[in-house]
Amino acid sequence: MFEKVLTRNFSLPRSESIDTYLANGGYQALQKVLREYTPEQVIEMVTASGLRGRGGAGFPAGRKWAFIPKDPQIEKYVCVNTDEGEPGTFKDRELVEKDPHQVIEGVIIASYAVGAHRAFVYIRGEFFLGVKRWIKAIDDAYAKGFLGKNILGSGFSLDLSVHRGAGAYICGEETALIESLEGKRGQPRKKPPYPASVGLWGKPTLVHNVETLANVPHIINRGAEWYASIGTPKSTGPKIFCVSGHVKNRGIFELPLGVPLREILYEYAGGMAFDKKLKAVIPGGASTPMLTPDQLDIPMAFETLEAAGTMLGTGAIIVMNEDTCMVDVARRLMRFFAHESCGHCTPCRTGTTRMLALLEDLEHGRGKAEDIERLEEIASKMRGLTFCPMGDAAANPILSSLKLFRDEYEYHVKYKRCAVAA
Amino acid sequence: MAMVNLTINGQKVSAPAGSTVLQAARLANIDIPTLCDHPALAPIGACRMCLVEVKGQRTLQPACTFPIAEGMEVQTESQPVTDARKFVLDLLFAERNHYCMYCEMSGDCELQALGYRYGIDHWVYPTYTKRFPVDASRKYFLMDHNRCILCRRCVRACSELVANHTLGVRQRGAASMIQADMDVPFGQSTCVSCGTCLQVCPTGALVDKRSAFMGRDIQTQHIQSTCAQCSIGCGMEIVTRDGNVLRIEGDWNAPVNAGLLCQKGRFDPLYDARPRITKPLVRKNGVLKEVDWDTAVQIVVQALKDTNAKDWGVLTTTYATNEALYLLDKLFRQELGVTNVGLLNDVAPKMVEKANGSLADVNNSDIILLVGANPASEQPVASFFIKRALNKGARLIVVDDQENGLAAFASMNLGMAEVEKAIEFAQRATNPVVLYGAGVTSEAARALQKLSGKAAFVALEPGVNTRAAAALGLNSGFDPSASKALYVLLGEQNWNGELVKKDAFVIVQASYQSPLTERADVVLPMAIWAERTGTVTNTEGRIQKVNKAVEPKGEAKPDWEILSLLASKMGKKIGTSLDEVSAHAAQAIHPS
Repeated sequence: MFEKVLTRNFSLPRSESIDTYLANGGYQALQKVLREYTPEQVIEMVTASGLRGRGGAGFPAGRKWAFIPKDPQIEKYVCVNTDEGEPGTFKDRELVEKDPHQVIEGVIIASYAVGAHRAFVYIRGEFFLGVKRWIKAIDDAYAKGFLGKNILGSGFSLDLSVHRGAGAYICGEETALIESLEGKRGQPRKKPPYPASVGLWGKPTLVHNVETLANVPHIINRGAEWYASIGTPKSTGPKIFCVSGHVKNRGIFELPLGVPLREILYEYAGGMAFDKKLKAVIPGGASTPMLTPDQLDIPMAFETLEAAGTMLGTGAIIVMNEDTCMVDVARRLMRFFAHESCGHCTPCRTGTTRMLALLEDLEHGRGKAEDIERLEEIASKMRGLTFCPMGDAAANPILSSLKLFRDEYEYHVKYKRCAVAA
Repeated sequence: MAMVNLTINGQKVSAPAGSTVLQAARLANIDIPTLCDHPALAPIGACRMCLVEVKGQRTLQPACTFPIAEGMEVQTESQPVTDARKFVLDLLFAERNHYCMYCEMSGDCELQALGYRYGIDHWVYPTYTKRFPVDASRKYFLMDHNRCILCRRCVRACSELVANHTLGVRQRGAASMIQADMDVPFGQSTCVSCGTCLQVCPTGALVDKRSAFMGRDIQTQHIQSTCAQCSIGCGMEIVTRDGNVLRIEGDWNAPVNAGLLCQKGRFDPLYDARPRITKPLVRKNGVLKEVDWDTAVQIVVQALKDTNAKDWGVLTTTYATNEALYLLDKLFRQELGVTNVGLLNDVAPKMVEKANGSLADVNNSDIILLVGANPASEQPVASFFIKRALNKGARLIVVDDQENGLAAFASMNLGMAEVEKAIEFAQRATNPVVLYGAGVTSEAARALQKLSGKAAFVALEPGVNTRAAAALGLNSGFDPSASKALYVLLGEQNWNGELVKKDAFVIVQASYQSPLTERADVVLPMAIWAERTGTVTNTEGRIQKVNKAVEPKGEAKPDWEILSLLASKMGKKIGTSLDEVSAHAAQAIHPS
């Protein structure tokens, strides 16, 4: 059994309180960092640990930290991305609701490493309990002197506050998050420049996912070597997998990266519900291409999934059984993306709407054979044309479902109903 | 400046470091199609029309935002690029109602032109069947959301150029809509009807009501001129067809305004419904009768000869050209010796010996003192400059005893008596600018002298060509009751002629019928702003050309020509050709 790291306190009573956290070794990493390490050493450690971003893109955290300019004259910011909106993902919410201090400790260490004295939590507006937990945890951390001026007598100061989003998926994208945090319309900025050089209010900004930051205290406490020993050489550390769909036990499972998908599904998630046959798995959230039952032995790591033509994404595993209509799945996903497109660029704004219209027609038996080609054409042409990666995100699941389950689309055209028993 | 070398379509190109691919291509005359990009606006990479292939990049990149780098290789019309552009156009045409044949902009539309260029001959995707609203609540132009491609040029023009921030986008995705304020009808919004959004719109979404369906651009003529509705002197293009003015557009290359115009300059002159005076009129037996020019001029010359110079009064509008003002001054003041001469509007007091500021200084200022002037209603384009500076972080202090249109934007509103307080702030600033008008009291003017050398002083003259009139000394104080005979260069202005003696002999040079022309003894028909050639002086002292766009109505003559005619009939040689008079006038306004 894998020794839990990020979720180790989850089963404790009142796991969200600062007392529980302190009683279980909390804030020791922070004390160690402030007393013994220079910011450069912290960055070195994180780089050596091989920690990669858990928000979807998997960018190496240490490298991201090193991009932030060292000049102390330049003001810098750290943003905690709690805008968890990827369908199928519910790990950050759990982390914030059950162990917020772990994340706060990570934020303080990250801020110390990059020289930021102001950090923001950007939280999805719908996370009502999460907001409460964040605010309570921040208040408690201030009271104990872990936040504020001159933290633990080290001379390092950091202020942290919570900002609630207004309900836009796209604000989980770092530049859109920054725009929203500035009080503007939540839509992505053009890149370059990247937030590491021009971010919040034009200053260098480090934007990290909650889970990424939660890993940081453990790297400090137990060393980069220990951390790097977990997982695969290119995907190190523990990962919280969110399993949803047609399995017996839905929920979050903390496992080392590289664990085979089959093991997650059958050992931890208890296998298929009602012993139905597995049809498809979305491995990393709504925007990742699907996997089929013959690919179950794939290790769940960044590099292996990429090689298989999909992505680890946020580690949100959506399991679909034989009764699932894949056209309906595509339609539901597209409804989400069409609804969440910010409307800034033409291909995403119009492409998602057109695809949704085609999928609605197909699903409801009004589709024509050429609609399938049209759909494929829009999805494939849209990739890479959009202002931000959301266009790719919307096109990916459509393309993969067309590749894997084209017969179902054709069935819809021919018989004007679903291929599966309804 | 450091130059960066790259190749575009195999052609070697070098452009200043920091340029975008689009800018570099434009320098080399390589055409890259755009829709959301506009040279006057910051690029946003939204429409995806300008996508190009950059070697080494995984995906196509928008030329409008992609920065150039040494050795970069760019393809602007390769197969993947044209495929992508065609795809984007297919999507755009399917998004809303783009049936060109019913559109006012057909022929002048940028979307339509790109459709032709990339061979969009049918709708690939089912067209959007939803109907979008048309908002015609503004007086001068309407917004047809059905034609909108959401390029956001209008939004950026409203915020970046005019700094009015009326326009924005509501909703998201395909439901995105351009809206005013918090989604109110445009006519009830904070819109100032400057028409900048109308000028940048690439499609028929924003349509000028007056010139709609009056001809494609190719059928029109664009005549460069200078707006003579206030003292800013904005460069403009008068768009005409068959001798009619269709509309006015801002001149993007103009030195003062760089494309901006305001309601006063762009729309109001075209909506002037006052009846014109088209023939010389002379009062006979108590009734104004139409006569020919010779008769009218003869009567005026006779009157000038018959009446003593000290009994004459001369009054002029500032809506006149430099040439007219110069001739008026020369003929009446210098040749005939008339001393009772005045203007129909006030003049800003002389604040500094030599004017050291220009309107461009406002842009780089950190504190702006607005003293005794109300640009929001008098010189709107200047108020746009001020608001733009405020966007960049400058602070505005309004010192005025009157209600001021920019009071809401000021960080401090002071009375004229409290001017010292404003001066204190200005002294602590790095680049203070003092914008002052005719409302400055003499005490305040004296106090502001403290800032000379420190601040840039820019006058906001009331009226139009006031700077020239003041330089010529035409504002020497006028008493209408003192004159037995009166010569009024009324032009396009309205003046009711109060205080003019009942039995005075009144000669009016005017374009429109007004109470004064009803009462006058001789009325000389004068051409309006679009019908004359000459020069005007703006509030900074910049002399700019106005050009005739259409022929004068009826027998009307340009302002200076009437005075030149009078002078020659009186045997005075004070210039007969326009160039000669212009040169004399320029010399008199800016003595070197």
